[in-house]
Amino acid sequence: MGLKEVKLPDIGEGVTEGEMIKWLVKEGDVVEEDQPIAEVMTDKATVEVPTPFSGVVKELKVKEGDIVPIETTLLVLEESEGKKASGETKEKEAAPSQPEAKPEKREPIPTQIVSDDYYPPVANVLATPSTRRLARELHVDINKIEGTGLAGRVTREDVLKVASTSAPQQQGGMEVVPSAAKELWTPSYGQGVTEQEERVPLRGIRRKIAEQMQKTKHIVPHFTIMDEANVTELVKVRQQAKALGEQYGVKITYLPFVMKALIATLREFPMFNASIDDEAGEIVYKKYFHIGFAADTPNGLLVPVVKNADQKTLLQVSKEINELANKARLGKLSLEEMKGATISITNIGSVGGTYATPIINHPEVAIIGMYKIVDKPVMINGKFRAAKVMNFTATCDHRLIDGAVAANFLKAFIQRIEQPSQLMLDMI
Amino acid sequence: MKQYDVCVIGAGPGGYVAAIRCAQLGLKTAIVEREFLGGVCLNVGCIPSKAMITAAHFFHRAHHQAHEMGFEISDIKLNMKKLWEWKNSVCQRMRGGVEQLLKGNGIDIFKGEAQFLSDKEVIISSKEGSQKVGASYYIVATGSKPMEIPGFSIDEKHVLSSTGALDLQQLPKKIVIIGGGYIGLEMGTYLNQLGTKVEILEANDSLLKGVVEKEVVQIIERKLKKSGVQIHYNVRAQSYEKKGKHLKVKAIKGSEEVTFDADKILLMVGRQPLSDQVGLNKVGVRVNDKGFIEVNAQRRTSVPHIFAIGDVAGQPLLAHKASFEGVMVAEVIAGQNRVYDVKTVPAVIFTDPEIASVGWSEEECRKNGYAELKIGKFPFGANGRAVSLMQTEGFVKIIADAKTHVVLGVHMVGPEVSQLISEAALAIEMGARLEDIALTIHPHPTLGEVMMESAEAALGHAIHIIQKPLGKGNGAQKRPSL
Repeated sequence: MGLKEVKLPDIGEGVTEGEMIKWLVKEGDVVEEDQPIAEVMTDKATVEVPTPFSGVVKELKVKEGDIVPIETTLLVLEESEGKKASGETKEKEAAPSQPEAKPEKREPIPTQIVSDDYYPPVANVLATPSTRRLARELHVDINKIEGTGLAGRVTREDVLKVASTSAPQQQGGMEVVPSAAKELWTPSYGQGVTEQEERVPLRGIRRKIAEQMQKTKHIVPHFTIMDEANVTELVKVRQQAKALGEQYGVKITYLPFVMKALIATLREFPMFNASIDDEAGEIVYKKYFHIGFAADTPNGLLVPVVKNADQKTLLQVSKEINELANKARLGKLSLEEMKGATISITNIGSVGGTYATPIINHPEVAIIGMYKIVDKPVMINGKFRAAKVMNFTATCDHRLIDGAVAANFLKAFIQRIEQPSQLMLDMI
Repeated sequence: MKQYDVCVIGAGPGGYVAAIRCAQLGLKTAIVEREFLGGVCLNVGCIPSKAMITAAHFFHRAHHQAHEMGFEISDIKLNMKKLWEWKNSVCQRMRGGVEQLLKGNGIDIFKGEAQFLSDKEVIISSKEGSQKVGASYYIVATGSKPMEIPGFSIDEKHVLSSTGALDLQQLPKKIVIIGGGYIGLEMGTYLNQLGTKVEILEANDSLLKGVVEKEVVQIIERKLKKSGVQIHYNVRAQSYEKKGKHLKVKAIKGSEEVTFDADKILLMVGRQPLSDQVGLNKVGVRVNDKGFIEVNAQRRTSVPHIFAIGDVAGQPLLAHKASFEGVMVAEVIAGQNRVYDVKTVPAVIFTDPEIASVGWSEEECRKNGYAELKIGKFPFGANGRAVSLMQTEGFVKIIADAKTHVVLGVHMVGPEVSQLISEAALAIEMGARLEDIALTIHPHPTLGEVMMESAEAALGHAIHIIQKPLGKGNGAQKRPSL
């Protein structure tokens, strides 16, 4: 009998920590080998962590909500007497006087399973084999070093120099983060005010939103262009479509129309359906149309994605939007359903506000905002007419998209919105 | 169930080397082998073939060259049985060495066929019974086997693979070799030198197609023909039939049907990976359409704690590549930061004369963006040691980037070039320039001087061949500077 610690294993994909969402066992529970003991959320997904041993839970070492680095002890088990791996039993029986005897004095084996898409970069610069190995061991990407040796070779000294000037490395990571950059990220707060403040840990979806938004704002120079559209026609068309949709049991909103108008416009302006590959320094034009749409949920903002929206009918798109929005509210969206958007739409219109300047969902390069439809007098051919008016914004990544281009894009888009018959012409 | 840190499946030059390095790094290691320790390499491949080739070469020289040196040898006879026994003793000795090394490193050896039961345990079955073994990591090193073609299945009696061709206790009078690749040529050379009449049927229009440079092939082809080996190009073998003790091979050349008589047929059309033997599909290890296990640059498979090395993990199918991967994977498992990033894998072929190459061919250099090259070629005929060995065929050709003089490829054909190529491999791994080789004193009189002279030749001033003068004046070369 002995106490065993169950640690948070490396969950893969270069993840270094996870958030303890929920304990699935409590102290005193009897657990079997491979039984899930906790739900842990990482950057990528929520996973169930199994215990590698059987036994009785003696102590839970972390609380729900804690951020837990990998290899942290999650709980302590008292090994159950009856069933044990036979190999281990023998070892222990053979040496009863040393119940805590460690298996021979071997180097610890990393239980860590490195994700299979990560490994140190293969050197493709001129450098001797020993220098290449040195770079890997110092977690320096040799391909990024400018060699000072003959014919541009990276010397041992070059590697040592880069290694000594870069910040302490994260385990396993190869990225060289200059130390100054780190300081920028550390805000300081006044200490001591306790009673008039409530401190709540930044957790779960909120934390992910915070990180994503901060990252995007850090990378992408945003600008927003705004305009209004006379949607009188669209309102009529949508009314008819809504009635038709009901026959199929599908609720048809304005969003699918906006999506279709957007896709048609994207075909004219491919740079809006693109990304910048920051590492490669290349623009990636995408030939597929995965449209993200912002969904407000009790837990925070989620952006489900309608994949290949260009290949689906308005009815299909409507149905999919409803299903995804529903799942989002219930917290049942899979990771897959939130990945891979090429551009996003945010619909704040249902709540209010005339205009907003939303944040792009990086690495996308634009986000379209749609707002509330209002009745407004509009001047047409010298006469005031009552019209339905809807505001639109296009928020763009100025690295790729210039103001004039954005203005033309929004104009072309609004033309389609104002004349829904145009949508018929665009139809594939 | 016995539990290990690492279980290696296959004890060839990849597997046993991996196991030893694992043990050296303190990992509790098991190795499973179904046939012989040392694998194909040590038992039916590299080592026995080199034994036979050495013997054949010796016999051949005694016959054809000794008299020129003044030896009057009247009656040399081949006792094939005796040669066979000596070859076996060589393998036996090497096999024993591997076993000692494994045991000396505290590695548990399991004899039998391994099958994955799950990604955490294998069952090892043999005549004596079966047992389960568990491990945290697995290294799959199951190697490859000779390929067959329609009409010919290997029975090692009439149709031989390299295994059968190296295990002959009687010298066949006449053989037909299907396939003019490197194994076919090595077998053909040794049997021809022992006195067998050899015909080679090659489906392409040249030997060693795409493997070595054309000018290298020319030397080998000329020598083979001179020795009486008949080579038939663009011939596709279809089937064979037995006629009494003899075999008749039917083939197609163009649109004609042609036949060849033989005592034995050697089928040498290549090797294919053995990826379907241990139940990889059950545990989710992905295998590509050619049968190779898919691996990344750390030789990790689609199942992160299962690694694959050697022939089963992809080209080139060479023992030394497998061994290198074995060491690397062991270190990866032990938590060290390793990746397969060698610049090049040298290749050697034990024809007569030998072929060896490392790095890129001229064509590959150009494909990789090196438009301007400096190329030096130096013949063994101008080397004192080669002349005194009475082996003057061949040359060393060195290819470098014209701008930086960094060596990109070295191609050799000639005496003992299998020994010389390591210097060239080191040069490429170190990123050496032509000057680095030219300015290194090479001892005289050795075959190694040819490497130095070829670097000098690329720079325009090899001593022992006539090149255009350096210095001033019309037509003079400009001395390269850096």
